[in-house]
Amino acid sequence: MYELAGIRKVFADGSVALEDLSLRVGPGEHVAFIGPSGAGKTTLFRILNLTLRPTAGTLIFEGQDVAGLSDAGLRRVRTRIGTIYQQQNLVGRLRVVHNVLAGHLGRWSTATALASLVRPRDVAGAGRALEQVGMPEKLWARTDELSGGQQQRVAIARVLVQDPDVILADEPVSAVDPSLAVSIVTLLRDLSHESRKTLLMNLHSVDLALGYFPRIVGVRDGRVRFDLSPDRVGPELLAELYAGHRDEERQLERLRDGQNPLGAACRPLPGFRK
Amino acid sequence: MLFSLRAAQVDPRRLLEGDALGNVAKFVRGMFPPRLDGEFLGLMARPAIETVQISVMGTAIAVALGVPLGLLATSSLTWRGVLHERTSRTGRWLLGFAPYAAARAVLSVFRAIPEYVWAFMFVRAVGLGPFAGVLAIGVAYGGMLGKVYSEILENVSPRPLETLRAAGASRLGVALYGLVPQALPNVIAYTLYRWECAIRASAILGFVGAGGLGQQIELSMRMFQFDEVLTLLAILFVLVASVDVLSGRIRGWVA
Repeated sequence: MYELAGIRKVFADGSVALEDLSLRVGPGEHVAFIGPSGAGKTTLFRILNLTLRPTAGTLIFEGQDVAGLSDAGLRRVRTRIGTIYQQQNLVGRLRVVHNVLAGHLGRWSTATALASLVRPRDVAGAGRALEQVGMPEKLWARTDELSGGQQQRVAIARVLVQDPDVILADEPVSAVDPSLAVSIVTLLRDLSHESRKTLLMNLHSVDLALGYFPRIVGVRDGRVRFDLSPDRVGPELLAELYAGHRDEERQLERLRDGQNPLGAACRPLPGFRK
Repeated sequence: MLFSLRAAQVDPRRLLEGDALGNVAKFVRGMFPPRLDGEFLGLMARPAIETVQISVMGTAIAVALGVPLGLLATSSLTWRGVLHERTSRTGRWLLGFAPYAAARAVLSVFRAIPEYVWAFMFVRAVGLGPFAGVLAIGVAYGGMLGKVYSEILENVSPRPLETLRAAGASRLGVALYGLVPQALPNVIAYTLYRWECAIRASAILGFVGAGGLGQQIELSMRMFQFDEVLTLLAILFVLVASVDVLSGRIRGWVA
């Protein structure tokens, strides 16, 4: 699916976000990315969904080097990658149906897109997608009247309408409360499992990553620190990953003390049992 | 502040000196009772309607000028990119930057020159009458609308735009589903506000012969018919107030 070699990203202000990052992700894989804030995870995801070009290195998506692509070529590849962000990525004033149908924009002509704003095109498809995320009754609601968790489901419904090969979820649950977080992560996992989509997720909470993903990639200072199955990601490795980042270290302490904020929803984490 | 006080020749004593108060009193006394007979009111119906028509047509022209110029003057659409991605190729950068700079310059000229001066020029060009007023409002307000439209468009949240772009939407697709829905309520609200201002402006423009109520006010003042002036001002007040209510309704409806 993805082959990254020596990816480096330097921003206009000279800050280095990614440094010699290499990674391989096969089709249908589920991978969680963890690491302290500022590690470069979001930048990595923006490179993976082709909205940001790396300063150096190669990115191969399904056997195709994306560096040489024209604007039209980039658009075609982007339609096969669905992204879910932390929050606020829907247009609040539009009805849910339009936000969901925006998943079609990569395929629709401008005329079709415009016509659909007046009289929605694929209402049935939007309805099905909303049903899959468990809120079919919100089809005609105004998006800004929904709660944060519901908006995140709308974002997932949009990705379902887009029907990509890969789903990138960049901190999809850091703006919703813990019990919702679990349901959204499981929803994404199950949906991508059913349709055999690759799922890459940035996660702030280590317990969600370790509990729900078979492959964990630790990122720090723009580099991959480890790339392991969750049973081999122990407390020492995590302490090293988050060293010097207070908030996240506190999270690790809670894990060690068994105060999992997600409660029974999570399997006991390997290496953390007393 | 002090400097302005001196330069603007602010001197309250002059209000109390000699004939000043007497003249004001004569003006105010002349206003009462206002002239409210049917003949005069009937005569003034046309100029009143004309004032509204001037403001509507003027605002329409202002929108027609302001939308394209405003779009060109939006840095995120022309050269900076909606996500501030900024294209690296110099040729393409220039291709976007040149029209941007030109549109900004045109908009500045349009709104730097007061509508009064525009009206004066258009009266010379197309003769006395409402059309000169329409053109004056169209150009001057087109400059203001274009500037404000570009600012509204530049200040929409970029996050939905990024999402749409990432899903493979074209530039127009991003504009339709991300930019326009976010900007539209503000664009409509500001346009309606400008329409209210246009009613007031069309009254002033009448002074240079651009038709409407203003021309009648000017005529009555020149004839020292202050009772008519008061009636005309009252009509203007009613017009402005009703437009105010109407635009408030529309704003509430699109919000």
